This record gives sequence, structure tokens and C-alpha cells, in this order.
Amino acid sequence: MQSEFKSQSISQQPSVLPPNIEFKALALVVFMVAIVCASLAYVMYARGVFERTQQVILIADNSEGVIVGMDLTFSGFPIGRVRRIELSDDGKARIVVDVAHKDAKWIRTSSVFTMERGMVGDTRLRVFTGVLTDPPLPEGAVRTVLVGDATAEIPHLVDTMRSLLENLENMTKSNSSLRASLDNVRVVTQNLKGPYGGLGVVLGSEINAKKIITMLDRVNTLLAKTDARIFGVHGVMDESQAAITQINVILGDVQTSLKNVDAVLVQAQAIGSNVQEATVDLVVLRKQVEMSLRKVEHLVSEINRKWPLSRDTELKLP
Amino acid sequence: MRQNTLSRSVFGTLGNACVRSAISWWRVIHFSAVALVMALSPSIYDRENRIVIAKNIYTSTWQVLLWFTSLCALISLVLVRIIVVTAISYGLSQYALEVVVQVLVLELIPLGAALFVVLHSNREISSTLIGSSMHTDIVPRVIAMAFAVVTLAAVSSLVALVMAYVVVYGFSPWGFAEYTRMVGRVFDPGVAVAFILKTILFSLAVAVIPIASAMQARHESIGELGSVPQGMVRLFLALVLIEGASLAIKFI
Repeated sequence: MQSEFKSQSISQQPSVLPPNIEFKALALVVFMVAIVCASLAYVMYARGVFERTQQVILIADNSEGVIVGMDLTFSGFPIGRVRRIELSDDGKARIVVDVAHKDAKWIRTSSVFTMERGMVGDTRLRVFTGVLTDPPLPEGAVRTVLVGDATAEIPHLVDTMRSLLENLENMTKSNSSLRASLDNVRVVTQNLKGPYGGLGVVLGSEINAKKIITMLDRVNTLLAKTDARIFGVHGVMDESQAAITQINVILGDVQTSLKNVDAVLVQAQAIGSNVQEATVDLVVLRKQVEMSLRKVEHLVSEINRKWPLSRDTELKLP
Repeated sequence: MRQNTLSRSVFGTLGNACVRSAISWWRVIHFSAVALVMALSPSIYDRENRIVIAKNIYTSTWQVLLWFTSLCALISLVLVRIIVVTAISYGLSQYALEVVVQVLVLELIPLGAALFVVLHSNREISSTLIGSSMHTDIVPRVIAMAFAVVTLAAVSSLVALVMAYVVVYGFSPWGFAEYTRMVGRVFDPGVAVAFILKTILFSLAVAVIPIASAMQARHESIGELGSVPQGMVRLFLALVLIEGASLAIKFI
């Protein structure tokens, strides 16, 4: 076999080998192997092979736009990645997400998972945690994903628009309620232009309107008579005014009597105060009398002491 | 009558060309299989051959590694800058790095390394065949060229990744986690295997096809001037097929 590939020799040019060529080649091989191994290790590290993770299973109506390896983000930071997507027994998409242990603290039992599909760009899985003090999400927990899909709204929007247009079409039909209402409005406006105007429209017929007008005429007549009886000459108002005048005179007399009573009371008050002052003076007089008595007693004692018949009160010892 | 003769002549010529091409490709494949088996046999790595392999590795890789890497870094810098600035201007900066890695590292650099090695070694292929044997000359050359493609592609890819990081994040270490995550997202298992496989196929194609074509031409007594360009054409065809297959598998 080798001879088949041997070529006819012409001449081989002598070549000068550089020093340490074997060592250099070996170093190059080692370098290449090291680079390849380091690159593989780095890619494995980047893929999270060496990372301890816990699983979270997200349930969605469909897995459109979700790909294996895409990130689950919390506050914009990737904390997990989709490991696999499968169809569950109830026909929904099960998205198995690996969350790094060091980032699992951001996912709590009250966390909400969303899947957002924009008009442009890829689908995004996000987690929102409102209460960070809630218990952490257990391993293998199953949560439903809320889908926020801009394009998913379009069919709903089209359905709504279609029903809106159908309603509009129904409203503008010849036998539609709106048309009937408009006819009624036309009738009403014609009645408004009639002899009894809005009164006829409100009361339903011209006869009723006529009765109302008759009643109003009678009320006007009654009011005229009442006016004559109350405000006319020798009417109720005149007599009332005379009675009020007499009451005013009586009230003036009563006021004068009360003034006299006030004066009597003032005098009685003055007498009371005089009695009070006299009582105060009696106390002072009593004190002055007591003082005079003590002076007289003192004077008698002094006389007794200076008098020759005074008793010898000195005690002489034997 | 004359028309029948003409058509028979055209079909005959085409048929002959197809048969020749098929035989020629078969010989290339046969040679590749023989070279691969010999390269994997321990007997090829005896003391004498190790020196020959070392010499070939030195000339095909050591001598060009530095400036090829520098050239690659420069081109990477320019391309990364263009892609990042363009992506930012369209508000798609989050996709810039992924595009850089997808285009530069996964597609352009392995192809560039393969083309560079084959162009660099083109001159030496003829001299390898002169008075050479499979065991002592040709297989060491094949091993060295394959090694050169893999090494240049690996080192240049690494440099391109570093340049992409520096262009986007500067020399700050705080983008490393995000960058690593992006690299992990791009290099999913399928893509990583396809990348490794493509690089290996490139290296085999570059190592085998030019030498096989040259040997076949010599065997069929075609002049040396015609043999190497024919080998280049076959090599480029093989490279295009491998690249096309890789793209088709990835994007279809």
C-alpha cells in the first residue's frame, strides 16, 4: 500500500533543523491540548455543568418561543436556564428550569412567573418576587406561567372588533332597536311642535293636557279669591296688624312694671350689704373692749404693787 | 446523422469526465483513509518520525502562530467593533455579542485557519512528495497540517472571544458573568459538537486533499504545475461543502 503512494525520487533538499525543535513541537502540542481542554471546561462552566441547581417546573398553555438554554431572569439578572421542555399529560407545556442554588433565594412561594412574547425579539421568562420574606420555593415546585403576549392579543382584538361591527350593523338595521328609538324620537319631536307642546308629550295625550290646563285655570281663580280675602280691605292681614299693635302696648306696660321691681330689688340688696358691714364692725368693737379690759387689769395690778398696803409677796428664807 | 454524432460525442466526453472525477475522488478518499490509519498507528511515532513530525509542526504551526494570531486579533477587533456599533445603532445591543460569537468564532475563524494553512503549505507540498515515502514524509506532513489547522483555529477563537469581551466591556471584570452566560447560551451541546466536528473535518481536508491530489497527479504523470491547482480546487470544494453542511444543520 505504501509503495503505491511512493513517488519517484528526484532529490531531497537538505534542511537545517532549528535547535530544540522536538521540545518546541511538544510545547506546542501541550499548549494546544491545554487550550482545547480549557475551552471545553469554560464552555461547560458557562453551560452551568458544575453548578448546583434546583428545579422549578413551569406550566404554560404553549411553549412557543421557549428554547432549551434560554434564561429565567429576576430583575434583569439571569438566575436560571431552561433545561428541557415537554408535553404534560393534560396537554400543557412543562418547562423544566434549573435555578442555581445561590440564586434560589430570590424565588419564594409567592413569586410570579411570566412569559413575555414581544412583537420583535425573543421570548422572555421572568420571575417577580414581591415579598422576599416568604418561604423559599421547594425543589421541584410546579408553577403556572402568566403569559404576556403582544401578538396573542391580536386575535382577541380582532374578535372584539368583529363583535363590535356586528353590533353596529344590528343597530343600523331597519328593524333595529336604535331605528325604533329614532322613530319614537321623531314622533316626540312632532308632538312637541303640536298645540300642547311638551305637556302633551309628557302626559301622553292632548285630552290629559287639556285637563291640566283647565285645572291650572281653576287654581288661578282660587288664588285670586284667596288674595282678596287675605290681603284685601278688612281682610285677615288688616285684623292681624291691629291685634299686633295692642299686643305691643301691653308689652310696654309689662316692661315698666318689671323696671319697678328691679328698683325694689336694688334697695333690698343695699340693706343686705349694710347688715353685713355692721356684723364686721361688731367684731372690731369686741376686740377694742377686750383690749381696754386688759389695760384696766394691768392698771389695777400696778396700783396694788405700788400701794403701801400692798402685800409683801417676797419669800424670805430662814 | 451529424447531430447524433455530436450528441454522442458530448455525452461521451461528459461521461468520461464524470468517471475520471469519481475515480479521482475515490483515490483521495482512499488516501485519506490510509493516512488516517497510519496517523493513528503507534508505529508512526517512533524516534525518527517524531523528529520529522516535530519539524513539520514547527514549520506549519510554530512559525506562523504568532503573526496569524495577531492578524486574527486585528480582524476580530475590526469586525467586533463594526457589529457592536451597528447593533447598538439599531437598538439591538443585546444580540451583538451573540452575533459576534456566532459569526466570528463559529464560522469565520475555522475557515480562515484552514485556508491559511493550506495556502501557507502549498509551496511545501510539492517538495514533500519528492523522494518521499508515506511513513517517513507524507503522514508526518498530514499530521502536522491537521494539527496546524486545529491549533490556529483554537488559539484564534480564544483571542477573538477575548477581543469581543474587551470591545464590549473594556478591561472591567464585571461583565465576565454575563459574557460567560452568553457564551454558554451560544455553545449549546449541538453547536459545540458541530463546531468541533467541523474543525476536525477542515483539518483533515486541508491535510489530505492537496497531498492526495498531488500524488495522484504524479501517479498519472500529470505535470506538477497542474496538480496543485487541481488539489486546491478540490480542497475549496470540500471546504465549501463542509461549511454549507454545517450551516444547513445549524439553521435548517
